[in-house]
Amino acid sequence: MSRTGTAKPVLSVRGLTKQFAVGGGRMLTAVSNVDLDIRPGETLGMVGESGSGKSTFGRAVLRLTDPTAGSVVFDGQDITHISQRRLRPMRRDMQMVFQDPWSALNPRLRIGELITEPIKLHLGLSRSERADRAEALARRVRLSPDFLRRTPSGLSGGQLQRVCIARAIATSPKLLVLDEPTSSLDLSVRAGILDLLAEIRDETRMAMLFISHDLATIRLISDRIVVLYLGSVVEEASAEGLFQTPAHPYSQALLSAHMPADPEVKLARHLLEGEVPSPINLPPGCSFHTRCPVAIGACRTTVPQPVAVGSTDHTARCIRIQDGGNLISRRETA
Amino acid sequence: MNLGSFLLRRLLMAIPMVIGILFVTFMLVRIGSLDPVGLLAGPTATQAEFDMIRRNLGLDEPLWRQFTIYVGNVLQGDLGRSWLSNRAVLTDILERSVASLELLFWGVGLGALIGIPIGLKAAFRPNGTFDQVSRIGSLLGFSIPTYWLGLVMLFVFFYLLRWAPPGMGRMSLMISPPDFITGSYLIDGLLQAEWRAARSAFSHLVLPVICMAIISAAPIIKHTRAIALEVMTSDAVRYARACGLPRRTVRRMVMRNSATPVITFVGTELTGLVGTLSLIEYVFAWGGVGQYGLNAIVRGDFTAVQGYVLALALFSVIVFLVVDVVVHLIEPRAGRA
Repeated sequence: MSRTGTAKPVLSVRGLTKQFAVGGGRMLTAVSNVDLDIRPGETLGMVGESGSGKSTFGRAVLRLTDPTAGSVVFDGQDITHISQRRLRPMRRDMQMVFQDPWSALNPRLRIGELITEPIKLHLGLSRSERADRAEALARRVRLSPDFLRRTPSGLSGGQLQRVCIARAIATSPKLLVLDEPTSSLDLSVRAGILDLLAEIRDETRMAMLFISHDLATIRLISDRIVVLYLGSVVEEASAEGLFQTPAHPYSQALLSAHMPADPEVKLARHLLEGEVPSPINLPPGCSFHTRCPVAIGACRTTVPQPVAVGSTDHTARCIRIQDGGNLISRRETA
Repeated sequence: MNLGSFLLRRLLMAIPMVIGILFVTFMLVRIGSLDPVGLLAGPTATQAEFDMIRRNLGLDEPLWRQFTIYVGNVLQGDLGRSWLSNRAVLTDILERSVASLELLFWGVGLGALIGIPIGLKAAFRPNGTFDQVSRIGSLLGFSIPTYWLGLVMLFVFFYLLRWAPPGMGRMSLMISPPDFITGSYLIDGLLQAEWRAARSAFSHLVLPVICMAIISAAPIIKHTRAIALEVMTSDAVRYARACGLPRRTVRRMVMRNSATPVITFVGTELTGLVGTLSLIEYVFAWGGVGQYGLNAIVRGDFTAVQGYVLALALFSVIVFLVVDVVVHLIEPRAGRA
């Protein structure tokens, strides 16, 4: 928190909901009523299982898909409903990095062209100026300028992801949405990419929304973390706060499922039973009650509101926090 | 890799393929139920006559010997003699191939011209009205039997409306065909300014070409839509949109990146539709290779069948070679792999 203070948020999302029609008049709720803020220089981690709506959220924030309800305020301006044409000049300030760099880069262009694509579009500049920029950006992401003349097919995954990062930061955006940027990379390459992102963030005070299913990665890069389950934020906390005192039963189960590096550490495992319910018919009340080991009758009917846990920047949506019954004990899951 | 060495490599790769094709066509006819000796000898022949015909045809030799003789002959351009036309099969096929190629290329060309834009437009708005309509349209194209479509078109446009000439060949018998340049009456007529001939050739082409186009457009629509849709949901296109590229530019990128698989598919259509081609040629009495092959199969003319199958196989080899070259030229990745 110290790094970001109370500066005005770059991105402010309120009540964001995205539903898809799936035929037969039924609706799939991918994102449900999400609120969050990201301030300059801050990295917000978003973690959840596949299908929890993380990617849809990332796309809705950039208006790559239109939200069903709620609002997205970017840099002080409400962009929820403005036309794509009016949004276009603002796009230089919001960029994105995708999970699969092989698919994210147009295979017919050279690396140099790929990196300068957004510059060409948003800043103009002459050919030679762009070439200079491309070289500087390549160096910035620790990529040899020799690569600039090649096409993506000649590069490795880690190198390609550096290309994606280079082009994403080319216009010095205020917000960078990273959708599982390290998930398709080898563990050894992953660390290098994370270091690079952290460096860029600290240099430029860029705000980042880092979407991942991988807890270790999220913990390493994030200042704050939101946990998503079936499209809803179930818990929001500082990275350390979440890992030390996870309050929502889902977060507890999620954290207990991840392996610490130290094999000597004794783990209390809370393995969840059952499948994630279908997002087409969301369960009433708390969407987690169907799998929650500490659910009570009221959980089936009451939609939980955020409740403060300890410090003020830590909230969780669980009605059992008040009575202290939110903590999963070993006995209950043994 | 440059184009020359690429071509050379592909041609070398075609050699074992052609040998395999020769073997398969040879065996296909041998293991089939065709009995050339019986057919030639007729129902009243004596055993002595049977044996003589057998010997004359070389069918008393062991199978491997027959095969080496066959390959040797094929390499010298001798595909044998057709009993139906009593002419060399190679001459028959060469003469008729232009008629077939003309119909096939105009037909599939028109099918691609219709099918690709429809498929793209459908993909740009998946599940929109246009997509739904085109889906029904291509379903119809898939399910209409070829010969029925040809007959109905003749019935409506020749018999009822009198707009089209009868389905009897490539040109009116009252007009002398133009001199041979390409073999296509339409193109040759135009080149030599023989307008009457060109006109007649064109009017005879219309119905069978439309028939062929309808049948070929259906799968082209489906595949183009699927290919473009996959490109559209790729992260590269998503990124282009996130950068704020105008919709027109994004669509151009989708088209460009769909080009390779679409071209490959149209190439496979050219070779895959030879069956359809035979039926259309039959209905319109086109006098092409397809009709010839169909006839040969029905009448048990086994050297002709052999020659027909071999010609089709070689045609496929050539088409795929051309597709490979085109893809190589437009696709920077393919050559460097």
